[in-house]
Amino acid sequence: MSPEAASALWLSVKVATAATLLNALLGIPLAYVLARRRFWGRGLVDLLVTLPLILPPTVTGYYLIVLLGRRGLLGAPLFAATGWSIAFTWYAAVVAATVMALPLLVRTASAAIESVDRDLERAAYTLGRSEWRTALEVTLPLARNGLIAGLVLAFARALGEFGATLMLAGNIPGKTATVPLAIYTAVQTGETSEALALVGLLTLLSCAVLVLAGRLGPARLGGAA
Amino acid sequence: MSARLDVRIRKELPGFTLDVQWSAGEGVAVLFGPSGAGKSLTLQCLAGLMRPDEGRVSVDGQVLFDSVSGVNLPPQRRRVGYVFQGFALFPHLTVAGNVAFGLRDRPRAERDARAAEVLARLGLEPLAQRYPGELSGGQRQRVALGRALAPDPALLLLDEPLSSLDLPLRRALRDELRAVLAQWGKAAVVVTHDITEAYRLGDHIVVYEEGRVIQSSPRAELLWQPASQAVARIMGLANVVRGTVLKATPDRIQLRWRGQTLEAVNSPHRSYLPAPDRALDFFIRPEYVRLIRKDHGPPDAHHMNVMRGHIVREADFGTTWTLYIRLDEPGEPAQGDFDLEVEVPHLVYEILEIERERRWEFSIHRGSIHVLPSA
Repeated sequence: MSPEAASALWLSVKVATAATLLNALLGIPLAYVLARRRFWGRGLVDLLVTLPLILPPTVTGYYLIVLLGRRGLLGAPLFAATGWSIAFTWYAAVVAATVMALPLLVRTASAAIESVDRDLERAAYTLGRSEWRTALEVTLPLARNGLIAGLVLAFARALGEFGATLMLAGNIPGKTATVPLAIYTAVQTGETSEALALVGLLTLLSCAVLVLAGRLGPARLGGAA
Repeated sequence: MSARLDVRIRKELPGFTLDVQWSAGEGVAVLFGPSGAGKSLTLQCLAGLMRPDEGRVSVDGQVLFDSVSGVNLPPQRRRVGYVFQGFALFPHLTVAGNVAFGLRDRPRAERDARAAEVLARLGLEPLAQRYPGELSGGQRQRVALGRALAPDPALLLLDEPLSSLDLPLRRALRDELRAVLAQWGKAAVVVTHDITEAYRLGDHIVVYEEGRVIQSSPRAELLWQPASQAVARIMGLANVVRGTVLKATPDRIQLRWRGQTLEAVNSPHRSYLPAPDRALDFFIRPEYVRLIRKDHGPPDAHHMNVMRGHIVREADFGTTWTLYIRLDEPGEPAQGDFDLEVEVPHLVYEILEIERERRWEFSIHRGSIHVLPSA
């Protein structure tokens, strides 16, 4: 394997892992709130989270540039204050992968949370548990399979992210060129054997993740999604 | 003495309004009525899982909810034990874990001791390390009771505790439940749509219909003096018919019905004095109608309210026969094609050779004709 390929693989694993962790931190509370609370603007939140699932990834990437680019709504004040911009760093790849993977986790996890019998939560309330402790001790443990399925889907999606990453992070070898981007470059430059090796690696990695997830919990990838 | 439980709740939902008020003293109060009458909704309001639009709920003088003074304790602080329909045991925790769930805020040693005590009292020790999925229906009921009782609640709420069980088990568990409730001496509210369960479990029975209370009284009083025709109908009483008042005194009421003059006992506690010629609903318990044997000579003075008729249909209910009888009277029968339902045990049916003998004289003691005061 060429040094470029090895670095692309390492970067991909790093980005996908970080994106999955961010998904767990943001997506699981979000899934709980969407599944269990009725509040004003709930429909809008649901729509915004789901949008990257149906928009072309380049469109999502464009919005991310508008938001986080050097002249973006959040990016400009950040650049003015620190002289640093997230665009074209590996963090940008993490952000793009997180946003693209979030709808898969949130939809799977909130379906799993919704399927937990509400009487179990009510029972916990009458036994003195706050809503927060009930979520941690009852709801989320019982939705465990769905949460794992959602995280696996999120990891797989993050691993394969291309369009939004290209827009926000660019395709800088060794810095932001994850495996899918490296494959694109290899094909463009006629390095067929390099492309083939990377395609094989990514396929293998994805299969390994799915098999592992199947071991961890009886996966209900189809049922809960 | 003030009642232990005072409930006044009004709650509007789309297409349904709950508007109830009742009180119950020590012991078990049963909320009885058809499905969708608002019984479970009442329990949720008592537990703080649902907020009434207005009203007041107090247990032993402690106010749990009061829309006027703005009190609304959250379920966590109401000290209410809830046994859910289907039990709602935590499937990922063992029996011991379920029972100890409500003891979290106590020191470890005390928590373990209390959980062990509850498990022992309910005979659950051998199952302590099992998961709910591995238990029978009866065992689940005991775990649900244990979990609700462990934190020593001021009030126990049970929502159709037996409805998820098979019939033979239901009977056994009904009696077990009754024993547990009596033994722990807790004020309890049980929701059921089964009249037998209501009688077996309740000291006080509150009858619900379409979001309202149509009667709230001690068990014996409900059994012998349903407050209205609506209550009698909901209780599934047979032979609820309508006659005309001839004469009413504090002791007796004389009625005219299907060409007969009947005499009924008036209520000893609250006698009802309708004016003559008024229409009056009453019911005759089918198991209290006596068939008069012809081979014993003419009816003697023990028989009263004597009538004559023939069997138009009959139905076998396993241990009893129900005979549908039409009186020897011209005019429309009182209940479709018959006037009276009469229930006889199988043995009596055989001894009297009812299969062969279809014409009978019967008598009904005046104490078995129950007048239903109209509202």
